[in-house]
Amino acid sequence: MGHRHIVDLLGAGPPHVRQMTTAELLTLQIRVILSLVLRETRATFGTSSFGYLWAVITPTASVAVLVILFSMVGRHAPFGASLALFFATGILTLQFFTETSGKLMTVFDANKALLTYPIIKDVDTILARTILISATYLVIMVIFYAGLIAAGMAQLPARPGQLVLVFLSTALLGLGYGTVNAVIVSLWDTWMQIEKVLTRPLFFISGIFYVPSQLPTRAQDYLQWNPILHLVEWFRIGFYPNYSSSVLDKTYPVLVGTVLLLIGLAGERLFRRTRF
Amino acid sequence: MLAFDRVSKIYNLKGVRKVILDDLSFVFPENRNVAIMGKNGAGKSTMMRLLAGSEPPTSGHVYRSLRVSWPLGFAGGFNGSMTGLENIRFVSRIYGQDTERVVTYVKEFAELGPSLRLPIKTYSSGMKARLAFGLSMAINFQVYLIDEITAVGDETFRKKSRAVFQEKLKSSQIIMVSHSAATIQEYCDCGLLLNAGGVTFYDEVTELITAYKSL
Repeated sequence: MGHRHIVDLLGAGPPHVRQMTTAELLTLQIRVILSLVLRETRATFGTSSFGYLWAVITPTASVAVLVILFSMVGRHAPFGASLALFFATGILTLQFFTETSGKLMTVFDANKALLTYPIIKDVDTILARTILISATYLVIMVIFYAGLIAAGMAQLPARPGQLVLVFLSTALLGLGYGTVNAVIVSLWDTWMQIEKVLTRPLFFISGIFYVPSQLPTRAQDYLQWNPILHLVEWFRIGFYPNYSSSVLDKTYPVLVGTVLLLIGLAGERLFRRTRF
Repeated sequence: MLAFDRVSKIYNLKGVRKVILDDLSFVFPENRNVAIMGKNGAGKSTMMRLLAGSEPPTSGHVYRSLRVSWPLGFAGGFNGSMTGLENIRFVSRIYGQDTERVVTYVKEFAELGPSLRLPIKTYSSGMKARLAFGLSMAINFQVYLIDEITAVGDETFRKKSRAVFQEKLKSSQIIMVSHSAATIQEYCDCGLLLNAGGVTFYDEVTELITAYKSL
């Protein structure tokens, strides 16, 4: 036993370790997140620029198919002159949200190998993904709406400032909801399937192919609990010069997003040790 | 300062509870090269990940005031669909290094030639290890954590790594996991023996090796 030298730190108190300043930590985190965004871009879209092109084409095509289907059955736009514009304002907003939250759900597992580098934390990978998807959807929306405007199916947006705000709010809601889901999935991975089923009706209850204000008050009372409905309404207010909404409350989706994000981040911290 | 303060690490996998470290308090001696030995599954690699901060302990604290490398093992952390070059750039970016300097260094050191422009998944494990080793040597750390990596490549490559390594050792410290008594003897001057959750420190590396062999 002569060579047992395990030092007992008990009672000695934590050793003095120099802490990094907030500014140092912030630059470090920004550096890591930006590197991750570059890496994720490369990993998501592959080597060729075709990869990115596909990411833009797929949602565009799904809106186009829907528009064609609905115009074939002879439906008119529930608001404004263009069916395409009306659907797009709904569908692209919903897709942006589901894509963000969906991609975040698997973030802990997908990036496990990255945690070899202790400088990268789970929260960095969450933010990097959100930034990448937001950038992609920004491109998709700009291309799509510019296309509609060029084809004479839409006017220039009436309140561009509002569009910027609703875009950011959608990203926030996706980030918050996605983070909470990521934490739940890390504890119980069956949640992934259940969540898919639970959010399927979002397509019908988010005001995508109707004007929520024209629904009976009873229906409005229920639907207004859905934060995505508010985002869709908000987007339309930003795009159409004369769209009016009796349900819209802009603070609601922002509040839900913020609260979910706080819960998600707290959960990430709380269950960090169980993930390893 | 690199220290464990009442660190426990317990894995719970499918109802099986595995205690890797149990309430360990230990200050790693400064300016000494520490070996970590033990049988397979004794928790050597876990200890490395705890030291690096890649993984949190179940309870207790790991104190780290030095620039500690990531655990250098066989290619963990590389993205298989990205090329060697892209992986190098990524790691140098997150560590705030001059990307071009690191690329030049690794190119020269790892001797992978045009393969650097191919996805990592096409690499042999030897190539991956050379890339990982070269990459970590390009970045200056105060403590290098090395997990069974020195014995890669052919004789020429090994000679080269040894030379670079000796150079690094002048200013840095290493903590090394290895099963090879010869490697341990060459690089380390003291060590820890992990055995069924118990940890013993040996001031002399020869004593460590004797104890390891009698396990």
